[in-house]
Amino acid sequence: MSSEPLPPRRSSEALRPGMVWRVAVRDLLATLRDRRTLMGTVLIPLLLIPLFTLGLPQLLGKFVGGQQQERQKVGVVGTLPPALRAALQRDEKAPDGSVLRAGVTLVTITDPRRAVEDGDVEAALRAPAALPARAGDGTGTLEVYAKLTSLRAQTGAYGKVQDTVDAYNRTLTLERLTALGLTADTLTPVQIKPVDASPPQQQRSGQLAFLIPLLMLNFILTGAMATALDATAGEKERGTLESLLVSPVRRGEVVAGKLLATTLTALTSACFSVIGFLASGIVAAWLQRGQSASSAELSQAFGGQLSLGFGAAVALIGAAISAALLISAVLIALSIYARSYKEAQTYVTPLSLAIVIPAVLLQFSDFLSTGPALYAIPLFGSMLAILDTVRGTVTAPNVLIAIAANLLGAFVLALVARRSFGREEVIFRN
Amino acid sequence: MLEIQNLTKTYGKHTALSDVTLSAHEGEVFGLLGPNGAGKTTLLRLLATLLTPTSGTARVAGHDVQRDPEAVRRVVGVVNGGMGLPARLTGREVLRSFAGLYGMSRSQTDARIAELDTRLELGRTLDVRAGEYSTGMRQKVVIARAVIHDPAVLILDEASSGLDIFARRTLLDFVAATRAPGRLTVYSTHVMSEAEEVCDRMAILHEGKLVTVDTLQGILSRTGERNLERAFFALLRGTPREEAAHVI
Repeated sequence: MSSEPLPPRRSSEALRPGMVWRVAVRDLLATLRDRRTLMGTVLIPLLLIPLFTLGLPQLLGKFVGGQQQERQKVGVVGTLPPALRAALQRDEKAPDGSVLRAGVTLVTITDPRRAVEDGDVEAALRAPAALPARAGDGTGTLEVYAKLTSLRAQTGAYGKVQDTVDAYNRTLTLERLTALGLTADTLTPVQIKPVDASPPQQQRSGQLAFLIPLLMLNFILTGAMATALDATAGEKERGTLESLLVSPVRRGEVVAGKLLATTLTALTSACFSVIGFLASGIVAAWLQRGQSASSAELSQAFGGQLSLGFGAAVALIGAAISAALLISAVLIALSIYARSYKEAQTYVTPLSLAIVIPAVLLQFSDFLSTGPALYAIPLFGSMLAILDTVRGTVTAPNVLIAIAANLLGAFVLALVARRSFGREEVIFRN
Repeated sequence: MLEIQNLTKTYGKHTALSDVTLSAHEGEVFGLLGPNGAGKTTLLRLLATLLTPTSGTARVAGHDVQRDPEAVRRVVGVVNGGMGLPARLTGREVLRSFAGLYGMSRSQTDARIAELDTRLELGRTLDVRAGEYSTGMRQKVVIARAVIHDPAVLILDEASSGLDIFARRTLLDFVAATRAPGRLTVYSTHVMSEAEEVCDRMAILHEGKLVTVDTLQGILSRTGERNLERAFFALLRGTPREEAAHVI
């Protein structure tokens, strides 16, 4: 008999769905019994997404609205024209008598900077020279001391002083114009009337819409990570991979089964994140019924409301599934090289940057010329597609390009993983 | 049942197994003895199709390990000391999962699990998650997993490693009971007393090379020693036990 090895017979490498499913079920069962993984894939998306898309805007709305209702202390050095004093202290009321915006309480102080710094007052006013009390009295300067980087000051005392002084200026100007026989329109012969031409969905999507692709892909990554690492490096570490590889299951089926299990876990996580978004939209609408108009506007501006039509939902699901497949393939291809679960974690942790950095760039997507080329970038394309879906600007060709790019990437990485599972130095690397 | 011809495996410049030729027959428990690094695990992984030979051939139950690895994997069961179990699955779930990979029906599987329960004294182990197993419990389920499909060839590599005296006794009794027509068990160990007890014939490997293949009686009479351990050292180095101890 020859001592040279015989050429390997090309046994069928076709994937048998039953085998793939059995490998997947084994990994899924192990994942579903891990409480930490369940927390990461189910509970956290359900809690964090409402927190970001609903809680945060609601909180901001309440803070800002609260500032409007609150009566802040404003220090004054010297004297102010009586009309301005009265305007600053006056409450702005709705026809039903409810307070829309409270005035401020004026207190006399000597050192405006110190009073603000010490927190005795939220803003301080000082007029180096007498301010005009009537139309035609000339001009003057009013120094306003406040912590200008503070959102609280901007939306509270400082904002109120600024608005009141603007209104006071308008009153004096109008008096002067009237005395001259002119009307207020003289100053603004052309008036701008802004009309929002963005689609209704985009108008509703809010300033934090860019967070949706970020959160969704992050939950896909988190969900996929638990299964992928356990099913590859974890199996090597426990010594269970070897027992699987000596069974009649083909290497391609092992990879496909693990990819399926990982993708399903990732999609479960993505599913719960979508449920979180939808629930947030419904709850936001309900909550805004009881809010003041300004708070509701702010909540809306930041958080928006996610409402998807059938086509948009299909686009969202397509983008999410393809992204989940791609992320799962990356994780499996990488983590099979690791000797242990811990080592695999160090390999894949930087992957979250591959989601966070492009997602942050999405804030500036208005500046990007989003042609098909950008949608053809795996993962980033699906982020754009998800953002478009949320804003109601999604188009079928762009979504299809994004999905195709992800699927192509996933296919190539699955081939890499298949090759790695066949390499002795990878499987027995310890 | 097992035909190995000039089998060699190298890793870069290191030769783990060099030109090994041997055969083992149905109805016997065939021992594979040697110190750490002798090439036992490499040889067994080649037979299990986990590794590819650098040269030479091996046939397991008539199937060539290179030409038809899938057929080989259908007829072998493999246990090694480092094999574990998925911590969050029960023993029964592990066994059912593997039975599915061998195409066994649910009724066949349940009947086989009941049989293995009796033979390996699995008891309540079957319905406890593997993460809670002691070493002995784990190894019993690992063995049950390896034989769930009733393989013609059973390969055990340092299977008694870490077992207590009770689990070890169960293992040795189980191995002895595998001696049957149409079956072959390859039992790799460095515990000479185990080989003396269960192996009909044995091969001794050292530094990747085959030193000898013979029955216990054949080895003892050839070396003139009174037990296998002494004969083992005599064959390896021809030196007293104390001097050769470091190679184990």
